[in-house]
Amino acid sequence: MPATPPSADLILRRLASSDTEIKLKAIREVKNQIIGNRTKKLSYIKLGAVPALASALAEADAASASGSSLIVQSAAALGSFACGVDAGVRAVLDAGAYSHLIRLLSAADNKVVDAAARSLRMIYQSKLAPKYDFFKEQDKHFLLSLLESGNENLTGLGTSIVIHSCETSDEQKILCSDGALEKLISLLDGSLSQRDSSLESVATILKNNPEVVSKFVDLQNGRSLSSVIELTKDRYPRTRLLACSCLICVKNSSFAYLQDVGIKSKLIYILLELLDDSGQVGDDASFAFSSLVAEKEDLQRLAFEANAIDKFYDHLQNRALHPKRLEGIFLALAHLCSKLECCRSMFVSLQVVNILLDALTHADANVRTAACICLKSVSRSVKILSAGYFMNERIMAPLIRLLSDPSTSVQVAALGAIGNIVVDFTPQRSTFTQCGGIKELVQLTKSMDASLRLNAVCVLKNTVFHADKMCKEGIFMELTVSSLASLICDPEPSVQEQALTLMRNLVDGSMDCVEYAFAGGGIILDAVGRQLQKFSKFGIGIQAMYLLVNIASGNETHKDAIMQLLFSQAENVSHSFFSRFLRSSDNILRTAAVWIIVNLTSLASPGAIDRIVKLHNVGIVSQIKRMANDPCMDVKLRAKQALGQIATLGDS
Amino acid sequence: MSLFWLVIRQLAEIEAMAASKKVITREEWEKKLNDVKIRKEDMNKLVMNFLVTEGYVEVAEKFRMESGTEPDIDLATITDRMAVKKAVQSGNVEDAIEKVNDLNPEILDTNPQLFFHLQQQRLIELIRNGKVEEALEFAQEELAPRGEENQSFLEELERTVALLAFEDVSNCPVGELLDISQRLKTASEVNAAILTSQSHEKDPKLPSLLKMLLWAQNQLDEKAAYPRINDLSSAILEDPTV
Repeated sequence: MPATPPSADLILRRLASSDTEIKLKAIREVKNQIIGNRTKKLSYIKLGAVPALASALAEADAASASGSSLIVQSAAALGSFACGVDAGVRAVLDAGAYSHLIRLLSAADNKVVDAAARSLRMIYQSKLAPKYDFFKEQDKHFLLSLLESGNENLTGLGTSIVIHSCETSDEQKILCSDGALEKLISLLDGSLSQRDSSLESVATILKNNPEVVSKFVDLQNGRSLSSVIELTKDRYPRTRLLACSCLICVKNSSFAYLQDVGIKSKLIYILLELLDDSGQVGDDASFAFSSLVAEKEDLQRLAFEANAIDKFYDHLQNRALHPKRLEGIFLALAHLCSKLECCRSMFVSLQVVNILLDALTHADANVRTAACICLKSVSRSVKILSAGYFMNERIMAPLIRLLSDPSTSVQVAALGAIGNIVVDFTPQRSTFTQCGGIKELVQLTKSMDASLRLNAVCVLKNTVFHADKMCKEGIFMELTVSSLASLICDPEPSVQEQALTLMRNLVDGSMDCVEYAFAGGGIILDAVGRQLQKFSKFGIGIQAMYLLVNIASGNETHKDAIMQLLFSQAENVSHSFFSRFLRSSDNILRTAAVWIIVNLTSLASPGAIDRIVKLHNVGIVSQIKRMANDPCMDVKLRAKQALGQIATLGDS
Repeated sequence: MSLFWLVIRQLAEIEAMAASKKVITREEWEKKLNDVKIRKEDMNKLVMNFLVTEGYVEVAEKFRMESGTEPDIDLATITDRMAVKKAVQSGNVEDAIEKVNDLNPEILDTNPQLFFHLQQQRLIELIRNGKVEEALEFAQEELAPRGEENQSFLEELERTVALLAFEDVSNCPVGELLDISQRLKTASEVNAAILTSQSHEKDPKLPSLLKMLLWAQNQLDEKAAYPRINDLSSAILEDPTV
């Protein structure tokens, strides 16, 4: 037993030997060295063994006995290199072994076929495997022939190809319409491994595709669906899980399917029970649970009644959980608590948050992300926020630290949680500031990553909503006028919209607050004006209009500035953005636009008469008159109010 | 299994009517037993399943010819599986690993625990044979990297290497690793993995049926006195003690 592999030269020379005996022995030795042994795989890859094996495979003659052995051994070795090691998959593909393995699937010798199929299946377990083209007639037929071959290794390869390569809805449709789905269903009656891989491929084809699901449901008068339902009772946990996954795809495609409470609760109970499996099935069960209850209040209620939260909590008590398991459980809790107050109360009363706090500092980024998402979901509760349950240093401090996490997804998730918690229902908003949260947030508004900027601005927007003067002042100083202006002109429209809303919340309130809009020599209003000229989406127009509404509620200078912004290019007013907004199809946008006029013509304002004259001259008054019978009640109300003020002042 | 469900149904019936313990005589019991129809083919399948799973290939072959029962697996694969099992049982672990890899290279590649246990067994055999230096080198080269990947492997590895620290291994705390039972444990793990890879149940059905029989009798004991099977090997009905 050589504990250290022979030298590179020697191995490569023997693998390439012209003596078949020596060559075969060398290949078999490499194979036996690397199977199950990751370290050896990597070192042989470095030695360059993979190309040598690939050429042995390519050169051997499948029709001769010695050639057949060479192929079986080298295919097995190549398959092992591709098993569980990405570098191995890459090496095998780079060495050109793929096309030879495919060719050997049609060999006459069954041993050769089996070896090639196993090897290819290993390759298809990896994300790096080449994408299979289902649209190519020839490839499609080949796949179908694999699925109906009756050879377990070939059907196994066929299902692996489907699971790996079927991604788009067109691919799902073609597999459904060309008989692959039926063939996969017929494998449900096959051996244990055929059944499991068939279920997994069926789920792949059904996922997020209502059209395919509706075909599947009607297949064989519903017998296919029934047999999948039957398999949820199977004695093998993995089979039960996969059958549930298929049914979840069906359930998620339309409200019309699997409406019966019996089957819905059955799915919940099975998945909760599968959590007890200590292996991968248990890990995957919580993810399947998430996709079952996501966005579905009825299922969340059933899960609540099935004591799902207790069950997850029990599992969390085990301190040595695998990261995947922790992630899955926190995401499942997040989905459970996304709508129902009873779930959130249960979460709080079980004090799950104590365990969640540990997860916020877990070494695995996915666990940290999941914990934040869970916290975000639970803090949707006004009741919990009002009780100030989360706004304390114990929770805020680690959350704020996550704002500078190396992983962007953790940062985004932490922003999401903070964004909910800072919505003020308590006097303790200052905890957030005291923990240094504002500084971190402002830093993130300057990130290169658009999702971070977006979420950071969003949290700031929530923080200043109805906040006191001191809070606003602190944020405004930290953020600075110039970066506010550049956020309003951010390349991402979604960031622009949030920045405008932040500005709108800032200037909302006392007269002093309106001054924020004029700081820095008016660069903010300039930025707003530029965005309005471009007007790329309703949301931006609406937020900008409401910002102007708030500013127009200010003093004479403020109102005049708005007049200047709206009507500076007087000759062309009917084509101006403002005139267009008054005619917009969006009710809220029209409402906001008229509201500005209401504020500009306020009866208490000394300069109102001059502004009315101007509004007359540019044709806005006649436009408002036409809106007095607007189908939208809000618009109608504001338009009448504006016209009333204009008439009163005009008469005086 | 139909037999099992019949017993359960009878149990339920008895439960329904019996408030106090009911006595069932041998005649009544035998009459009931005679009413249970079990197809010969099903019995034969059970026997074949046992022979195949346990690896009695020659008996299975004979049984097939005599009873016409087709095994659900190619009998040739049993021979291969038994060869692997025998190799582990006789301490030729390296040979066993190569045989498994020839049978199906995926088994050890996708089953790290089994692979580790085989390597551990290999280490045990080296220690048993007094090849200390080779054992140390093997532990370092082959097993240590697996220990890095998995905490529980590391603990098992430490326990195994501890064998080297004792003069008298037969009388040390980890001495049981050198027992034949350790080989048998490993051998049965390999056997089960090969069966699973062939989509075959890893345990024969017969023993679990016997377990069910015992369970059903225990349940019944609480409700009734009846002719019981106490000796499973003879399956003789023994009169109820009233």
